[in-house]
Amino acid sequence: MSASTHGHGTVLKHHFDNLEQQHSAERLGMWFFLVTEVLFFTGMFVAYTVYRNWYPGEFAFASSHLLWWVAAINTGLLITSSLTMTLAIRSAQLGDKAGLIRRLLLTFALGAGFMGFKAFEYATDYHEKFVPGEMFRTEYARPLAELTADDAKRKFEGRPALTRTEVESYQFKGEYEHWSQDLAKRNYGREPATEGTVSPERVQLFLCFYYIMTGIHGVHIIVGLGCILWLVFEAYRGAIPREAYSKVEVISLYWHLVDMIWLFLMPLLYLIRSGGGQ
Amino acid sequence: MSIVIGDTPRTAPPPPEPETPRRNYLNETSGFWSWALTVDHKRIGILYLVSITAFFLVGGIAAGLVRANLLTPNGAILTEDQYNKAFTAHGVVMLFLFLIPSIPAVFGNFLVPLMIGAKDLAFPRLNLASWYVFMIGAAFMVWGLLSGGIDTGWTLYPPYSSRYSHASVAPGVFGVFITGFSSIMTGLNIMVTVHKMRAPGMTWGRLPLFIWAMYATSFIQLLGTPVVAITLLLLLVERLAGVGIFDPSIGGDPVLYQHLFWFYSHPAVYIMIVPGMGVVSEVLTCFSRKNIFGYKAVAWSSVGIAVVGFLVWAHHMFVAGISYYSALLFSFLTMLVAVPSAIKVFNWVATLYRGSITFQAPMMFTLAFLVLFTVGGVTGMFLATMGTDIHLHDTYFVVAHFHFVMVGGMVLAYLAGIHFWWPKMTGRMYSDFWSKTSATVIFVGFFFTFVPQFVLGYHGMPRRYPNYPEEFQVYNVLSTAGASILGVGYLMPAVYLTLSLFFGPKASANPWSATGLEWQVPSPPTVFNFEYLPITVCGPYEYAIGVDQMGRGLPEPPGAGDDNPATRVGATLLPGPQPKETEVVG
Amino acid sequence: MAHDPHHNPGDPPTLHDVDTVSSVVTVYAVVLALAVVNILLTFAALGPMALPVQLGIGAVQACLVAWYWMHMRRGDTAVTLSAFTTLFFMFIFFVLVLADVLTRWRAAI
Repeated sequence: MSASTHGHGTVLKHHFDNLEQQHSAERLGMWFFLVTEVLFFTGMFVAYTVYRNWYPGEFAFASSHLLWWVAAINTGLLITSSLTMTLAIRSAQLGDKAGLIRRLLLTFALGAGFMGFKAFEYATDYHEKFVPGEMFRTEYARPLAELTADDAKRKFEGRPALTRTEVESYQFKGEYEHWSQDLAKRNYGREPATEGTVSPERVQLFLCFYYIMTGIHGVHIIVGLGCILWLVFEAYRGAIPREAYSKVEVISLYWHLVDMIWLFLMPLLYLIRSGGGQ
Repeated sequence: MSIVIGDTPRTAPPPPEPETPRRNYLNETSGFWSWALTVDHKRIGILYLVSITAFFLVGGIAAGLVRANLLTPNGAILTEDQYNKAFTAHGVVMLFLFLIPSIPAVFGNFLVPLMIGAKDLAFPRLNLASWYVFMIGAAFMVWGLLSGGIDTGWTLYPPYSSRYSHASVAPGVFGVFITGFSSIMTGLNIMVTVHKMRAPGMTWGRLPLFIWAMYATSFIQLLGTPVVAITLLLLLVERLAGVGIFDPSIGGDPVLYQHLFWFYSHPAVYIMIVPGMGVVSEVLTCFSRKNIFGYKAVAWSSVGIAVVGFLVWAHHMFVAGISYYSALLFSFLTMLVAVPSAIKVFNWVATLYRGSITFQAPMMFTLAFLVLFTVGGVTGMFLATMGTDIHLHDTYFVVAHFHFVMVGGMVLAYLAGIHFWWPKMTGRMYSDFWSKTSATVIFVGFFFTFVPQFVLGYHGMPRRYPNYPEEFQVYNVLSTAGASILGVGYLMPAVYLTLSLFFGPKASANPWSATGLEWQVPSPPTVFNFEYLPITVCGPYEYAIGVDQMGRGLPEPPGAGDDNPATRVGATLLPGPQPKETEVVG
Repeated sequence: MAHDPHHNPGDPPTLHDVDTVSSVVTVYAVVLALAVVNILLTFAALGPMALPVQLGIGAVQACLVAWYWMHMRRGDTAVTLSAFTTLFFMFIFFVLVLADVLTRWRAAI
């Protein structure tokens, strides 16, 4: 048996016969939990697929107005945090307590950085009123109102109404968000639901997906950060000897899944512009 | 190992009756906190037992309100709004707070480690957490019910549930969302336990069929419940934020909600019935003193039901607006899911054939299950067939169908399980007479409650309606009368089982002379289940040879003598298999 | 792994269970590079091929993370089965929902 009977005695739980069975069960338990997490997100991905298939133009429009560079940075942070997390398992397996704590804290920092950028992103979106519901509708109405007023003025002055090209290159006098300007330019003067228009309602539908999917993903990151802090605490008080490395591995499995979900979420939400027919 | 008819063969004598130790899992520690913070899977099973019994009562009262209101054609006791809340409460409470946890959380928790020779489930603290999560979810649901009720039907379809209902939808939905996690935790625990903690010799091919059923159920819980979790979360967001992905005004599709909802809720009905099928396999073999006919078929059919059950959900949506082509596809797939269930029924009947059958209460409930589940299953074919479903959808035919399988099937199987394992769990035996009487009363009550509903549905009475044409009254009154008898029948076990705790004779370790590992430990078991490592040497139902799973002999089976040997305490006479005219040559 | 004669249960992890730093970092480099490619391709006007390419890149990244970082290559049958079962049921979910959604008659929008 192993030399460190002290660690052995406290690590092996009473209902298991040996450490290998315990570790194997813990790993399998976490994998089964990951199965549930994947199915949880799949529901949202299925719904997303249906609507992206129905409303490709609106999805592409909305996606192109999100902060893709924030998403890019976040992708880098998350992948790197998965690296440090995997290395943390190695530290635990080798009994390197300092290295373990260092790598766990690095993972935490990278994950917290992700959430920091996400908070900045949400704040920007909110500030720009790129939020489904009343805010969106009110903001969208404003550039439309200016275009309508301009057309009315021209009519009053006997000039011809705005042509399509003039609308597309229109310089707004008021302060409107970039997305509402684009949307107004796209839709003004066209009958709703005709070729080339972008339905503002369906843009809001995309935004529902954006907020809900990234929001739920964010909640999972926060839970993961909590688990990592718990591991730091456990490591600090000496409760992760070599035999107990599987605690770190189990959390790392969860962390990798959250990373993988992001790797699919990111292109689907932020990178639609090049695909999806306009 | 052949047995010659007419001789009295000798196998190993049964082991000496394990002395009922004074300390067992019930009295090892006492006091509130020893129960509130227990991690013993047996105590957690009892916690669930008590809770779900309370919720069964609540759901039953709601059912009583519904049936009482339907006594007259225009609503006897409730307003239309109250009626909506009554049937929703009945559905939500019975499904999420009783049927889904029933066998997995009570018997799964209690018996899985015992049956496979383990000391506990893989994650005991997760197990306790699952009970607390369950109770928190239930608290939210009760809050919803008490603060104005939910009136959307248990299916919670938007846009009514997300926008137009003025009832207390949000707490109720949140409660269901939370109890889903309890279900996932229990399923995960059981699956890991079965994978990793089987005792030596307990191979997959020697697992009791109850374990196969629990494994299949846990598989469904793991894969399906998260989908309803996200669906309810999306619904909640839509209700609370005023905008969401099922909202038609922004291009959303309410039928998409139905797809997401039924992706879980159809497999959920298999979560409800498959554990019952596991109980049936255990009880049938024991009370016909025969090995199961077709072990592999029954084992794999549980898995088959679990897998195919995920492919059929849109048969709930044939008239909801899905495409004609997908409806055809789902209709075909639904016919397939009947096959594994039918395989089980055939194998069970074949098990009974030439068995040495006795009719204690567990067996009576199980035989009733066979009849009622078969009827319920066959009526499902009418609903799977698109052409007939168009007429029968949302009528009382559907109501009767699912009550036949869920009440006539699952609740009876649950009661069979209670009566079978009661002596093991509590160490007490209940009244043979009253248990058989209650089984009869329940069967009669059930019959009169739900058979008229097939007729009503066939003639077109819609479900969830508080009023109906005059000519349907006689069937409704008959159904309500039956429901009263059913209610009495359910109260009876509550009485005699509770009385048995105080006045019942002490039960021996193996009162039914069953073969499973759980019967080789004292009644009630000690805290760590086994005082020694159990080594399994044979399959789970070697009744014909007369050995338990550890290869030791069996005590005298129930009903072999004139008195009730289940109540006999101490060493039994005539060990080994009993010579009978119908003995199967091994 | 449970039947390895040199590996007694209860021993601390032997060196063949521990990832090498180089294997971990190599996977990191590949996954990160793929992410960069994915983002850059957005600006490359792939048209309708963009979505399959993006999902394909995501799938490759996921496979690498699962196989190496999540230790699927250790070969616990239950783990491998659970991964493939999940994929199977995701597939079912997508296909059967789309079977309805894509075959409905819809007026031109």
